[in-house]
Amino acid sequence: MEGECHFLEGNLRARKRVDYVKKTLEELGIEPERVEIFNLSSAMGPQFAEIAKGMTDKIKELGPSPVNC
Amino acid sequence: MIVADRKSLDEILWMVSDCNKILIAGCKGCVTVCNVGGMKEVGILASALKIARKKEGKPLEVDEKTLERQCDPEYVEQIRDIYDDYDAVVSMACGVGPQFLSEAYPSQRFFPAVNTTFFGGATEHGIWEERCAGCGTCIIHYYDGMCPIARCSKSIQHGPCGGSARGKCEINAELDCIWDMIVKKKMEQGRLDDLLMVKAAKDWRTARDGGPRKSIREELTK
Repeated sequence: MEGECHFLEGNLRARKRVDYVKKTLEELGIEPERVEIFNLSSAMGPQFAEIAKGMTDKIKELGPSPVNC
Repeated sequence: MIVADRKSLDEILWMVSDCNKILIAGCKGCVTVCNVGGMKEVGILASALKIARKKEGKPLEVDEKTLERQCDPEYVEQIRDIYDDYDAVVSMACGVGPQFLSEAYPSQRFFPAVNTTFFGGATEHGIWEERCAGCGTCIIHYYDGMCPIARCSKSIQHGPCGGSARGKCEINAELDCIWDMIVKKKMEQGRLDDLLMVKAAKDWRTARDGGPRKSIREELTK
């Protein structure tokens, strides 16, 4: 859960860094939604699977990275 | 330290648009401390440039080298063996770096990857603020360690001005009025009369107004 990290503020910092990566990708003309951050506890297996499936579907929809073509 | 911000990727890509192979030269001095041009940032810029150019279908070969400093001739020598292997060298040091490199290697082109902004320090992690204007004649002893030249928007020496309200400057509601701070500190210390001292006009010839400056320490010269 956001703000409830074992490392106190670690997940809040991680979110800022993910935002920075998204901004950089946007500058490069690469879809920023290829990177996302989610907050889950270790007891949320089904939600993790759902998010992983959602990310997989999204990446399939976006297609291969233009850099790896 | 000298504080800088990285230029936009678009601007750097434009500089190297005719290049096929470049060197990105970082600096372990001030720009490492302000997280803009050290080894880590050199790596990030190298990756970003390679990705952008690969995407354009014009791959760019990028090598990385972070020098001890780019403002001393002996450290500038650290690229002597490799500088001409590239179409251009992109420096991530402050504005001094590309100039020292350019003077040492006249046949090469050197581009700046950062905008050098001010002399300052980190007020908290990730936030830097200006503290010194490098005017060449320090007067902060009159103001208990606070500099009205660097920190007053008008650089006035007899403030606060009419634009000061509730401790803030009129140019920005988040900017502290340094004159408000100076006066408050004098009042707290019971030394407000210090500000009545008549001083000679500030000699601005030691600042940029006197043209490019040079400092010679005879005891250190050869």
